[in-house]
Amino acid sequence: MRKYVIGRLKEFEMSTLVLVLFLSASGLLAIYSIEVHHTSSSNYLLRQSVWVTLGLGLFFVGYLAPRKVIHNLSYIAYAAGILLLLIPIGINRGAGVNRWISFGSYGVQPSEFMKILLLIALARYFADHKRSLSAIRELMTPFAMTMVPTALVLMQPDLGTALVYFGTFIVVIFWAGIRPLYFFLLLAPVISMLAAFQTLSFFLWMGLIIVILYFGNLPFWTKIFNFSINVGLGGITNLLWALLKPYQQQRILSLIDSESDPLGAGYQVSQSLTAFGAGGPFGKGLGEGTQTQLKFLPEQHTDFIMTVIGEEFGFIGVMIVITLFYLLIARLVNQAYSSKYRFDSVILIGFASVLLFHVFVNLGMIAGIMPVTGIPLPYISYGGSFMVTTMIFAGLSTNMATSGRAAR
Amino acid sequence: MLQGKNIVEVWRSLLVHGLLAFIFLILMGRYYYLMIVLHEKYSEKATANHIRAVPVLASRGIIYDTEYNILVDNAPSYTILVIPIEVKNKPESLERLSKIMEVSVEEINRRIQKNRRGSFAPAKVFSRVPFEKISHLQEHRLELIGVTYSIEPIRKYVSDLDLTHSLGYTREINRDDLDRYSSDLDYQPGDQVGWKGIEKFYEAELHGQRGFRYLEVNAFGQEIGESDDRAPINPKPGHDLLLTIDPFLQSIAEKALADSSGALVILNHQTGEILAYASRPGYDLEKLSGRISSKDWNALREDPRKPLYDRGIQGLYPAGSTLKPLAALYSLENHSNAKERRYICRGGYRLGNRTFGCWKKSGHGKVNLHEAIEQSCNVFFYNLIQDIGLEDWAHMARSFGLGQLSGIDIPGENKGLVPDTRYMNRKYGVNNWTRGNLLNIVVGQGDVLATPLQLAQFAGMIATKGVLQRPHFVNRVISKSGVIVEEINPKSETKVNASNASWNFIQEAMWAVVNGPHGTAKSARQKDWEIYGKTGTAQNPHGEDHAWFIGFSLDERYPYSWALLLENGGGGGGKAAPLVGKVLRQIARKDL
Repeated sequence: MRKYVIGRLKEFEMSTLVLVLFLSASGLLAIYSIEVHHTSSSNYLLRQSVWVTLGLGLFFVGYLAPRKVIHNLSYIAYAAGILLLLIPIGINRGAGVNRWISFGSYGVQPSEFMKILLLIALARYFADHKRSLSAIRELMTPFAMTMVPTALVLMQPDLGTALVYFGTFIVVIFWAGIRPLYFFLLLAPVISMLAAFQTLSFFLWMGLIIVILYFGNLPFWTKIFNFSINVGLGGITNLLWALLKPYQQQRILSLIDSESDPLGAGYQVSQSLTAFGAGGPFGKGLGEGTQTQLKFLPEQHTDFIMTVIGEEFGFIGVMIVITLFYLLIARLVNQAYSSKYRFDSVILIGFASVLLFHVFVNLGMIAGIMPVTGIPLPYISYGGSFMVTTMIFAGLSTNMATSGRAAR
Repeated sequence: MLQGKNIVEVWRSLLVHGLLAFIFLILMGRYYYLMIVLHEKYSEKATANHIRAVPVLASRGIIYDTEYNILVDNAPSYTILVIPIEVKNKPESLERLSKIMEVSVEEINRRIQKNRRGSFAPAKVFSRVPFEKISHLQEHRLELIGVTYSIEPIRKYVSDLDLTHSLGYTREINRDDLDRYSSDLDYQPGDQVGWKGIEKFYEAELHGQRGFRYLEVNAFGQEIGESDDRAPINPKPGHDLLLTIDPFLQSIAEKALADSSGALVILNHQTGEILAYASRPGYDLEKLSGRISSKDWNALREDPRKPLYDRGIQGLYPAGSTLKPLAALYSLENHSNAKERRYICRGGYRLGNRTFGCWKKSGHGKVNLHEAIEQSCNVFFYNLIQDIGLEDWAHMARSFGLGQLSGIDIPGENKGLVPDTRYMNRKYGVNNWTRGNLLNIVVGQGDVLATPLQLAQFAGMIATKGVLQRPHFVNRVISKSGVIVEEINPKSETKVNASNASWNFIQEAMWAVVNGPHGTAKSARQKDWEIYGKTGTAQNPHGEDHAWFIGFSLDERYPYSWALLLENGGGGGGKAAPLVGKVLRQIARKDL
């Protein structure tokens, strides 16, 4: 055991950890700036420092955990994760948002950890079922594995996390080498629902589906089944839209024009754009941003934290952070390519996609090109559960990247 | 896919990396656009977001009498405000406030709701709070969380003098005025603006220019403190006014009128300065300034004595016999035998089947022009007017400023009426008016209407032998640093051309009115002071006649001209002349 640990530490690959540390430090700096003129009772800086420290510990747990053990425990861990997701729904029946399991003044969001558990479970499935991906019903199990937690977080309701789960699934099946036709059939229902908002686009899309199904190499009844699904989903889209909470509808709608409704859903984005624009090339300096310091920015220590960096450290600061993210994700993709095992490779690409999704949606949202979905920025946004989750992710990915190499 | 580095895998890897790079380039491009291209636009927006310009009112100019005694000053007015969010958590505050102000908590809450502009913005609950209440508030401020007060300047009338109609008052600006002054962007709703009198006429000079403090506010509208980014703009105080009003003359003029209805205007005919201007009845300016209850306002408006009415420049009365010198001057200039003409007065003048009476029923006997003025004989002038056309008479009257605005520096003046042929034709129809109308006009009855100010000016022009000095209230406009911004010195203009001999004749006749054996204004006579005057009685179909006494002094120490009108005062000789006599005696006594 001790020999194993020492051996693994000798093989340790620094790059991911270094990038993660730089990103975490940027987050701490931004939180420091938010609190520099205000002694807040919540003391976010201290708390976040605790989360980073705890996260670093768990990073090494993730790194040192033998991959055989991870592989073997993956389904049990997944099942446990589903149970945890049920707890907040069970406890806070009837309340508005049920994302948290509370321990005193601290809350834990099981949906964050589920991001890891779902990915590991999917990785195991595709590692174990290498050859059978040619049959579409082989995709039904991973699809179900994804949809259960997705449905649960949608009930909380947490649209952003649901999209993360589903996005992970899409990337993983693509990575696992699914036939393009299947890929299309899986994505088609989503597009059908979007297309249903406009009659003409819906009919054009249905025409395209008919053409593709006609030439596709599929059993006749499968074609009929698929077509019915798409028509049916398109048909009930408006009903589903009505089921969304008004604030979720608003979030999606406010993407279309954030400036038109300065005090409603677009208010946050409008203030965020102002902060970025006012920051300019070099920023106003630490603690000098008026948008930040005078609380014009909503959620400024969580989802909108990048606006603090933008206003106070300018375009330069934003570019540094974006570049750090790019390096981290590109590195993970490379590691996924060079990984020897399918299990490792899927986890690496899955983590890369989770990161990319968060980074693009968050940075896009606060820059006004994505809807306001409540997606935090990895390593930078304040929040314990997500910090710990992404730290474990980073540890696991370093683990996968180096264990593959060691086996070589 | 995992091991084989074949060409497909290379392409696939390039595709994935290309996609990744593309996504990041979108983000970077977006941030470049936001932070570099739109930098300027958003900088301005961020500044506008957090800087609130808070107006600082300029103090209104002070008004002084001619001896630099303050007539109108500014005093602080206290307004109590409540910050809704803060009292919501501290109901004790409202209970305490309710005890201090002796107003129920429910009423305070109602006012908060009425004036609420947001949870953090202070809402007005009491205005014009007496200072004692404010010091109470200060004492209990620890129990009054969320209760605050502000100070605004209001007009304070510090002098004992009334000067009601001439000073005027200020009121909150209304929508019309806001539009009217809109070229001057300095006015905002809630501002005080001159509403009547000098306050209105000299609004531009008195008003000053507001300043601004720039406060930093947060997203909730809470004020954080002075902004470092923008320096405050200091308000420019309004200019002070130095009036022509002589406090001593004003005070005795006001006292002389006491409770009667009427007006007394005394001006310096050499300069046009108005030395005293009393119009009665008046009202309490303090009450009208700022905010007045509708009950008080209606009481003033419906008062049968019409205190809101400025009799000095708005009151129109038949000029009566005070206008006789007008026809006399015309005669002196145009009739070679003017001084020698004599007409016999038997107490009346027959025209057709109508008799036009003289005030003296027994008649004046055989009178010449001098005697006719001294004794105010109507019959003489009934005869004289036969030789003067209406047009010529009206032209002479207008050259004395009658029937025209004097251009005095307070608003609301009435121009009166000098009937001429066109007017008579219009009113009665061509050929429908007769010699009878003319007889009435020459003795200042019927259609002839004048204000006390116009008749004071008329008297003054006899004193100056036809030279007009435009009457005015304001002598100087002075900046707060003491620089004279404007000296009001209207140019003198010779309006009436007549020979010196004619003027002297008129003046002598008016001297005789006061000092002659048969003068109608003997009661105005002064020891060691030559007074010139003319009495008049304005017929009033609604009641007792109005009494006039106009006159002047040529004494170098007292270059005064005046007009006194007493509503329902009866004959000019009976009541008006003695009153002026009393005033003049006080003036003379003061300088002993």
